[in-house]
Amino acid sequence: MTSADQVNRLLALVPYLQSHPDAELGSTAAVFGVPPEQLLDDLNVLWYCGLPGGMPGDLIEIDMETVAESGRIRLTNAEYLSRPMRFTPDEAMSLVVALRAMRELAGGHQGEGIDTALAKLEQASGADAPRPQVSVAGGSEEIRSRLTDAIADGELVDLDYLGAGLDPSTPRVAPLRLITREGFGYLQAWSLERSAWRTYRLDRIDAVRRTGEPAGEVGEPPEFGPGWLEQRPDAAEVTLRLKPTAAWITEYHPIRAVRRQASAIEVDLLVADPAWLRSLLLRLGREVLAVRPPEAAAGAAESAAEALAAYGAG
Amino acid sequence: MNLAICLLMARRFIEKSQIRQVVEGYHDLSDAAFERTFERDKDELRAMGVPVETGSNNPLFPDEVGYRIRRKDFELPAIEFTSAETAALGLAASVWESATQAEQAVTALAKLRAAGVDPDPGRLAGLAPSIGAREPAFASIWSATIDRATIRFSYRGQPRRVQPWAMTYRRGNWYLLGHDVDKQAPRMFKVSRVDAAADRVGRVGGYRVPDLDLEAAWASLEPRRPDTEAVLAIRAGRAPDLRRRGRPVDAKQDVPAGYEPFAVSYARAADMVGEICAHGADVLVLAPQHLRKSVITELTATAGRAS
Repeated sequence: MTSADQVNRLLALVPYLQSHPDAELGSTAAVFGVPPEQLLDDLNVLWYCGLPGGMPGDLIEIDMETVAESGRIRLTNAEYLSRPMRFTPDEAMSLVVALRAMRELAGGHQGEGIDTALAKLEQASGADAPRPQVSVAGGSEEIRSRLTDAIADGELVDLDYLGAGLDPSTPRVAPLRLITREGFGYLQAWSLERSAWRTYRLDRIDAVRRTGEPAGEVGEPPEFGPGWLEQRPDAAEVTLRLKPTAAWITEYHPIRAVRRQASAIEVDLLVADPAWLRSLLLRLGREVLAVRPPEAAAGAAESAAEALAAYGAG
Repeated sequence: MNLAICLLMARRFIEKSQIRQVVEGYHDLSDAAFERTFERDKDELRAMGVPVETGSNNPLFPDEVGYRIRRKDFELPAIEFTSAETAALGLAASVWESATQAEQAVTALAKLRAAGVDPDPGRLAGLAPSIGAREPAFASIWSATIDRATIRFSYRGQPRRVQPWAMTYRRGNWYLLGHDVDKQAPRMFKVSRVDAAADRVGRVGGYRVPDLDLEAAWASLEPRRPDTEAVLAIRAGRAPDLRRRGRPVDAKQDVPAGYEPFAVSYARAADMVGEICAHGADVLVLAPQHLRKSVITELTATAGRAS
């Protein structure tokens, strides 16, 4: 009994094993994204497959003893299945979306390679269905291209950066990689001033200057996953009570919990950077009904008072 | 699997009775069991995208139904990739956060490897994009879009019937563009607002996706073009985002000491007010007057929240 997934895999496995003679069991399993035991099961199924008639000479031949002894797979007598099947629509769409997501982060020659690969794939899959589109806030292609070049060359760079608290800075960093989270592109880098891993939103990087200095070995940063803020020991929880019209913030900011009521919504935020909360409260203005703890609102109130004074003087 | 090989090898349509005789695993079955197994296997092949054709070899007896798979419809066409392209392909397997879609991408890459292409995951240094699909309705809408099957779902509590046309991923969110059957008009849906997995109510391939200008449809998701201009006073060295969007001007108004005047255009006054307020005392509105008043109103509310 073979499932549809297995048949789909077998139809690709037969040409793969013919174009990769003596392929290794473990690496072949990795190519197909299955555990080695599953691949062994696949080979046992294939052993019973072949041309109509079912005579010994009609069957696909696999030397199962060699597989057992050396982990090498030799498959013969299947010349009629030397090319893989077309992509299923789901495979084609999944691959195209992945490449389009890459395109949004790439710059320069990397981007060109992705563009032409996409064009060839779309032609090969031949489906005329509208392709899903992908768009990420990844800043300018030139900034990305400079960053990936510096990463490839292992070089320190100086950034012109506008932080979440809207404070401009010029950090010197060892760039590691470009990543996407929640629809934004980020640079993951080691900050020399802070001696810590930092993420920089790509659309807030104004300029990248090469320094000519080697970045050295920087190791691996902690996981930048959905819970990355939780790992910051200095993050504090703040609850905002907002008018319902401010519900958009739940889609643009990391939120711990949302409670919707008839005339208001309450959101719990983790705040690692007081400057970020200050600019968020200033932006929300009259849409903020209450802040808990109340002292969390002090920074924004001071800043607003300073601005009002400037208007009075102007 | 044997059925696929048998049909693929056939130059002509093969009748069901012939298939039963030659395909390993079929000839020992009872009549009823053969019928069931054959129909199931055939449907499975078709669901996988294997083009199983039906037809007759004899134009005089067109009802005599046989089956075949045409090689050129079945095989992946030969594609040559440059080294920059194989580097891009190599990374594609790691982009999806959703296990289901990641598997699909892995199988697609395995097919390319089987065809002699060598996607190389190590070569695109410094790129690690990822794309999520955490919405509860994502999988059901994705597959209905592929299958062109009408679906029914609850959209923020409202029942909707939709023929899915295409999906897009914008700023961390999936959207569905489709034909709203009840409203008889195209509509855009945010997948995260679909309350649970969508139900299929139509058959596979149940409608045609019209020739539409997808770019234009998606453009409706983008912010409006800025068409109004404000004159702002920006503190030296601050608010590079607004400086970049604007241009330095000679202001008619008095500019406070330590500030520089910039003209910055915007689309929606409410958004612009929020953006200016976020900068606190670093950005002041010089004109127009109504924008200045709105900003002062919001700042007054925030200043009053001192503890």
